[in-house]
Amino acid sequence: MDTQDSAVYTDVVALLQGLPRDRAQLLPALWRVVEHYQALTPEVIDAVSQSLGVPYAEVYGVASFYTLFDNVTGQTPVHICTDVLCALQGAQGLQEAAEAAAVGMPVSVRESACLGQCDYAPAAWIGAHIIRRATPEAVAAAVKAVRHE
Amino acid sequence: MNEVRRLLPDRHTVSHPASPERLRERGFDQALAKAMAMSSEAIIAEIIASGIKGRGGAAFPTGLKWSSVNKAAGQTKYVVMNADESELGTFKDRVLLEEDPLGALVGLLIAAHAVGARKAFCYIRGEYREVEHRLARALDILQQEGWGGPDAVDVEIRRGAGAYIAGEETALFNSIEGKRPEPRVKPPFPTNKGLWGSPTLIQNVETLANVAVLFAHDAAWFTQYGTKDTAGTKLIALSGHIQHPGVYEVPFGMPLADILHAPDLGGSLAGSGRLGAVLLGGAAGTFLSPDEVATSRLDYASLGAVGASIGSGAVMVFDDTVDLQWVLTKLARFFAEESCGQCVPCRIGTQRIMEIAEQGNLWTRNQDLRALSQAMRDASICGLGQTAPLALLSILDRPGLRRDA
Ligand SMILES: Cc1cc2nc3c(=O)[nH]c(=O)nc-3n(C[C@H](O)[C@H](O)[C@H](O)COP(=O)(O)O)c2cc1C
Ligand code: SF4
Ligand code: FES
Repeated sequence: MDTQDSAVYTDVVALLQGLPRDRAQLLPALWRVVEHYQALTPEVIDAVSQSLGVPYAEVYGVASFYTLFDNVTGQTPVHICTDVLCALQGAQGLQEAAEAAAVGMPVSVRESACLGQCDYAPAAWIGAHIIRRATPEAVAAAVKAVRHE
Repeated sequence: MNEVRRLLPDRHTVSHPASPERLRERGFDQALAKAMAMSSEAIIAEIIASGIKGRGGAAFPTGLKWSSVNKAAGQTKYVVMNADESELGTFKDRVLLEEDPLGALVGLLIAAHAVGARKAFCYIRGEYREVEHRLARALDILQQEGWGGPDAVDVEIRRGAGAYIAGEETALFNSIEGKRPEPRVKPPFPTNKGLWGSPTLIQNVETLANVAVLFAHDAAWFTQYGTKDTAGTKLIALSGHIQHPGVYEVPFGMPLADILHAPDLGGSLAGSGRLGAVLLGGAAGTFLSPDEVATSRLDYASLGAVGASIGSGAVMVFDDTVDLQWVLTKLARFFAEESCGQCVPCRIGTQRIMEIAEQGNLWTRNQDLRALSQAMRDASICGLGQTAPLALLSILDRPGLRRDA
């Protein structure tokens, strides 16, 4: 693909500045671009592939394995833990509250397996922040705050 | 005697978890100084004397593993801290890293010194962003105090990205190498061929923290708690219908009933107040009946007698209103979702169990499920496929736990 001139390619090269051009840096590289764009579009994957010198299919194959890289729309994911211990503490209500608050917002509400916060169930995870003993109100407020982050 | 705090700092501790004061208060600076002056053989002898076993689930003797990596041929060696912790009901490594991140890192530096590794990785699950931050800060402190850096051991933190299977040791190596985190066929074992084909020592966070407290004291101190077979303490992650969910450090051998009921531990049941079952060890753990809970102790022999193990230390408490078929269906979906798909028995088996669970037929397809489980146990290449049906089998073996039985 002829992406060497594209704006995305230039941005990705800048984002990956300082990382050794090495296959072993693929996961850190993917995190850098995901934290910047949220989305992993074919164009972004191609730019990572070119700048690390790893074939497109390989980058795609690795990226698609990981749930946290599963984002093509660029909407901010809000993870609601609906696993066993959180379900016992009302995770269903959190999910509904998050979905209601997310209408018209650049947010996608996702069900998550155990977030490792069962001592504070129910839990949600948004951006870099875990919400412990989450209430429908707290989750809705976090969703509403996304645009301003 | 109930809770014992060794891996977890004393409840009166006020220093910041990632600070030079904490390093000194916990005796970790002295532990490092002592270990760095010792030979590999002397360090390994001390670990063997302590009897530490791996705390990530398999309870493999730690000293033996260090000895294998130390003896393995090769110039380049690696050490890895496994902080991927992504199994249902398991959060003890998170709490340990929040409350005392220096301990596990000190254990990692001692491990690197003992096996002759110049490069170390801490692999932490992607959802633990705040914990990762604290770990990074603790690493900075060690560097400032002169214990890290390129001249000694270079420690790199790697963030996972949402794949339970990446916690399996060989899958974790592939993840670090920039490949898909799919498990490798064993043998060869990591002690001989791990990261980039070199001998690699991989340990759970809690195992490494045990090493740090051991070297801050000695093997005689270390073995003051625990049982004849298993010395020391274990972190227990208590969740579900319990008054005080949380992580508690208890000596091996403690009665399970005390873990649930002691005022400074679980504090008694919540929910209906009547125990239905305990799921011990994680998503691939064993359901125990109230009678078994009443008579078992936290050690491998006592639990082995009822077909259970400690696993990662997850203790999930369910009152008598919880439909365990619902729990099993959730577990089945998890394994079907997280199977990497490389081997047929695991890929198809986890899928079939999920379908049978979703159709509500778990109790009527007993024979089919047993045959399927046996095939998965015999022919899967990694622990996920081998152990995914364990919780289900434990209920097939305990019909009394079925609410409709
Ligand atoms: C599917 C699967 C997931 C695992 N996840 C973890 C994990 O998150 N953390 C961990 O320490 N060990 C995990 N293990 C065990 C590791 O493969 C390995 O045995 C362990 O890190 C060794 O450390 P230890 O001897 O200190 O317990 C997992 C194993 C399997 C099969
Ligand atoms: S047992 Fe399952 S998870 Fe493990 S390698 Fe095989 S398919 Fe993958
Ligand atoms: S089940 Fe929700 S955090 Fe563990």
